[in-house]
Amino acid sequence: MADYLLEMRGIVKAFSGVKALNGIDLRVRPGECVGLCGENGAGKSTLMKVLSAVYPYGDWEGSIHWDGQELRARGVRETETAGIVIIHQELMLVPHLSVTENVFLGNEITTRLGTLDYAAMHRRAAELMAELKMPHVNVARPVAQYGGGHQQLIEIAKALNKRARLLILDEPTSSLTKAETAILLDIIRDLKRKGVACVMISHKLDEIEAVCDTITVIRDGRHIGTRPMGELTVDQIITMMVGREITELFPREAHEIGEVVFEARHVTCHDIDNPMRKRVDDVSFSLRHGEILGVAGLVGAGRTEMAMAIFGSYPGRHGLELRLDGQPLRVRSPQEAVEAGICLVPEDRKRHGIVPLMGVGYNITLSVLQHYARLGLIDEAAELKAIEEMIARLHIKTASPLLAIRGLSGGNQQKAVLAKMLLARPRVLILDEPTRGVDVGAKYEIYKLMMALVKEGVAILMISSELPELLGVSDRVLVSGEGRLRGDFINDGLSQETVMAAAIGQIAEAA
Amino acid sequence: MNALRTIQEVFSRYKILALLIAIALIWAFFTWQSEGAFLTSRNISNLFRQMAITAMLACGMVFVIIAGEIDLSVGSMLGLLGGVAAVLDVSFQVPFWANLCIVLTLGMLLGLFNGYWVAYLRVPSFIVGLAGMLVFRGALLAVTDGATIPIESKAFVGFGQAYLPAGVGYVLAVLLFGLMVVLTLRTRAGRRRYQLEVAPWWQEGAKLAAIAIIIGGFVSVLNSYEGIPVPVLLMLVILGAFSFMARRTVFGRRIYAVGSNLEATRLSGVNTKLVKMSLFGLMGAMCALAGLTNTARLAAGSPSAGNMGELDAIASCFIGGTSMRGGSGTVLGAIIGALIMASLDNGMSMLSVESYWQMIVKGSILLLAVWLDVVSSKGSER
Repeated sequence: MADYLLEMRGIVKAFSGVKALNGIDLRVRPGECVGLCGENGAGKSTLMKVLSAVYPYGDWEGSIHWDGQELRARGVRETETAGIVIIHQELMLVPHLSVTENVFLGNEITTRLGTLDYAAMHRRAAELMAELKMPHVNVARPVAQYGGGHQQLIEIAKALNKRARLLILDEPTSSLTKAETAILLDIIRDLKRKGVACVMISHKLDEIEAVCDTITVIRDGRHIGTRPMGELTVDQIITMMVGREITELFPREAHEIGEVVFEARHVTCHDIDNPMRKRVDDVSFSLRHGEILGVAGLVGAGRTEMAMAIFGSYPGRHGLELRLDGQPLRVRSPQEAVEAGICLVPEDRKRHGIVPLMGVGYNITLSVLQHYARLGLIDEAAELKAIEEMIARLHIKTASPLLAIRGLSGGNQQKAVLAKMLLARPRVLILDEPTRGVDVGAKYEIYKLMMALVKEGVAILMISSELPELLGVSDRVLVSGEGRLRGDFINDGLSQETVMAAAIGQIAEAA
Repeated sequence: MNALRTIQEVFSRYKILALLIAIALIWAFFTWQSEGAFLTSRNISNLFRQMAITAMLACGMVFVIIAGEIDLSVGSMLGLLGGVAAVLDVSFQVPFWANLCIVLTLGMLLGLFNGYWVAYLRVPSFIVGLAGMLVFRGALLAVTDGATIPIESKAFVGFGQAYLPAGVGYVLAVLLFGLMVVLTLRTRAGRRRYQLEVAPWWQEGAKLAAIAIIIGGFVSVLNSYEGIPVPVLLMLVILGAFSFMARRTVFGRRIYAVGSNLEATRLSGVNTKLVKMSLFGLMGAMCALAGLTNTARLAAGSPSAGNMGELDAIASCFIGGTSMRGGSGTVLGAIIGALIMASLDNGMSMLSVESYWQMIVKGSILLLAVWLDVVSSKGSER
């Protein structure tokens, strides 16, 4: 075999003392495609940022050898000159510029007078399109006229134009249709024959299996193993990816599960930018009195979109049927959802959860302030009483209820957002990643609170990307993948492997 | 360096204090330059009457800005509503009380119309304001036929030109001071109950004494001329009512929430569109009051009334410490901002400074004030 084109050894990268990467090795030969696998948050993206010098040399430990020489790049520009080009999950194209202009952005060919040499650029762009089997693309037209699949290939053209020798593809098929994916995989095979190496990050193991020669698995920032694809089965890869032990404690308590209170039928959400693509495709489920229903899935599986659609806050085209207590329910806005007793604690706390300049207490009463007012005049005593009760019940640590919420820790902010929704007396509570960015102590308190709520009869829908947490508190687990429901399991000794396999699409419609 | 930091902290915490110091400096300068003519009771009375119209607009504008929007149409709307009032008075002999009701309703409807475009049809408020600026000015020219319309009703003229009898002024002053004492005591009790730090008694006493001096001085200075002008009284009533609205009503709370984080507020189940539209309705009502006052003061409806009024109102809000990013600001600040603008106008006119210089100075002060605000709030940014 030829010598390695890229050799990363013992990469360690820490963020304020926490090691996101802890001794990762990655080797790539010319013309080889390496699949990089791991769960959400395993450190894949961080590793690629080290490689492409988004984190410059000196910000991390270990060494990178490129083409036999040590690489000490200070920025993305240097790694691109060397021939390492990263294609991000969110495409970096300028929609209103033409294909040619995008391909040559920052790399323009100029005439001797300093003006743009469009003739030369168009010619070269057309050549690249032909090389990528897209000769029908008119390079003078704006990129926005072409769909997601074409745009992905235009990104690759841009990379090839920079004479890339190593392409890093971060979830390249996450926004593509099946047919577009097949074309992309073909192109990757073609590039391999021409000696271009690839590192492909993907949750879709069938795609990894189709094009990769070697698999490297990382978990929690550690290097788990590197093996030739031929020696591995998909099941083995899943075991390597998950393998985490449940170390946290979950305050699971016996509680009674009653009749069905809430049903969502045929939830479908179309992508905002690409309405042809469905982010959520005909998902139906029901929720029982006093039940915690976990929703597992990989990032981009459409879980947040589904929650937003139910809550009346999905901005794109969507359709669904809801039933509460057997009665049809229409929810056109969050206001109507809250009034009907459906509450959502959103995923992005900073953008969608807190009102940063206002006090903790005022954040808590924001949703139902009218309950503490007569003729629009706030009854301050009644309001403060409600606030104090919530602060005490959820153990929110704040010097005063009037203190601006932005000064609080993430865990206490999250508890305040929860308190806000509890004041609205929900019958159905949707929690989207309720423990993200929350310390262990606050996590435990949130689980405790969930237990207390289901005992009161609240039905909880909990979206989480942390499998141990999901399996630790849920009564039942739904698994979604690529916008569809791929599993519905009673959580009775359910294993992480089973859920992960369903999420990746290895087990069809179990149970 | 440390001393500078401390001063910076004090000012960013007590923005009002910084503004009052600015006013004191400006007044001292003009008094010195005019050899005392600036600080006569006649001129002070005049100054407050001049600021009243801008202040009314600023009281509405401050909420629009807190909610993260802007309204550029208020100058033209003021003119239009003032013109309509003049026409109703002259051509239809509508009694003043009815005129007041009609124009207030019309103002509110025009404001809600603007707000509907902003909140429900999602046209940026900057554009809606720009469009309204032209449309309302055009409508005013149509209504007045491009000519000045002198008004006839005595009550109407009195709305802009009358003064309160001295005795009534003193009674109001005493009542107001009593209210301040009660409010201070209540705030203290409330803060103590929720384990918040309470300022020492001497500090509270000094604050009340200062308030007593300001109120007493204000009333006696105005009384030693003709009494409290009606528009100034109206302005003070609006100040009180709107400050109360900001702190103690559901609507007021929601305005701040919408401006600080619109998405989070919407996802909390608040009808944010309705909040935004209502704000513009309130702004329209303020335009109506300002328009009536303006027409009454000039005793005529004029096709150029309220020209550039929106800029003075917006500048007053920003000078008064309203955040450009939305979510914070006070009515009192906006009023003091209006007082600073009016003081500059009045003082420079008194010193017969060329009008082009007046514009240059006012523009520079606005720039400086906002820059100081940005610099002083830098520490709290993350």
